[in-house]
Amino acid sequence: MSGAGPDAGGYRPRPSPRPHDAPTEVIARRSGTVVADPPTEVIPSYTDPPLDPPPPEDDRLDELPPEGPGRKAVRTFGELLITAGMVVLLFVFYEIYVTDWLSAGKQHAATSELDDEWRKDHFSLIDGRAFAKLHIPAFGPDYVFSLVEGTTDQDLDIGPGHYKGTALPGQPGNFAVAGHRVGKGAPFNDLDLLQSCDAVVVETQTDWFVYRVLPMKKEVQSWQQGRASQPQCKGVSPLGGLYGDTVGQEIVLPSESDVIAPVPHHPGIIPSRGQEAALLTLTTCHPKFSAAQRLVVHAVLVKQYPKDPKNPGQVPPELKESQ
Amino acid sequence: MYGWIWRHLPGPLAVRVAEAVLLAAAVIALLLFVVFPWVEPRLPFNQVTTG
Repeated sequence: MSGAGPDAGGYRPRPSPRPHDAPTEVIARRSGTVVADPPTEVIPSYTDPPLDPPPPEDDRLDELPPEGPGRKAVRTFGELLITAGMVVLLFVFYEIYVTDWLSAGKQHAATSELDDEWRKDHFSLIDGRAFAKLHIPAFGPDYVFSLVEGTTDQDLDIGPGHYKGTALPGQPGNFAVAGHRVGKGAPFNDLDLLQSCDAVVVETQTDWFVYRVLPMKKEVQSWQQGRASQPQCKGVSPLGGLYGDTVGQEIVLPSESDVIAPVPHHPGIIPSRGQEAALLTLTTCHPKFSAAQRLVVHAVLVKQYPKDPKNPGQVPPELKESQ
Repeated sequence: MYGWIWRHLPGPLAVRVAEAVLLAAAVIALLLFVVFPWVEPRLPFNQVTTG
């Protein structure tokens, strides 16, 4: 377009190439009637030369301004900004997908190591190593993660981690586990969807421990009239007493470490033997993609099945409770 | 910046395109496997423990 006459790129509409009265005449001849005025009235205004201003000079757009240090700096700055945006997008991709791939490899390695260890007689708890498996049938029949001892970043890259010092699976006290909700395999991605009475099954070398999510806060009052009668809720009821604040799900501040105390929200209290419930607590970040709060799920031990060495393939019926 | 890099890539056009792709891949790999793993624990996105 550059180099053309002053009309090039202009805004002035060109005059209609066809004779302005052609369509009218065609219609008139075919129908054999005199055509009414409206079409002809439109046409005169068509031929009126529009009085647009002449097109602006294009010459300045054709030639780049001289390459000076200012122009160079502005362009480099713009390129850096675009690059920064691409890097941030790449980081999102990394968080959501790449960490999943990396963690899947670590989880797989930890699981095969755990399977080997379980075949030996003596099994010991080692930091950063898997020691149990977590099944949550509500998340699908194939949902299983190997649990690692410890909750450092490296531990949690492998899989959900056991808070050191809290109870072990099946023991009275609070078996507490942290897991990622976004990326890193996202084991606790759907933790907010767990309902009361959903099974959380922990498999150790020797046993299967079936925990069930405690009644939600809004269900506590009407528990006996409501869900208590459902078959999967057998053994689940509001704990009461010291455990009055311990409900199926809660959202707390990151600083509230007492949700993993033996009696949640009452750190320092150790109930006497026989009075202490065997709890399971799962923690993850909340809301998704944020670390502003923690989502916490409490469950209570309802059943224990010792593994039968003669029948290694046997699994508890709770594992088939997929939705 | 990008123009400067492009002008300094040696070889004919096809080779320069290959070099540019290789360079971009190297930068992405460096970010994904070195920089991001280092920076990630320092960012407040994915802390899941209490206390």
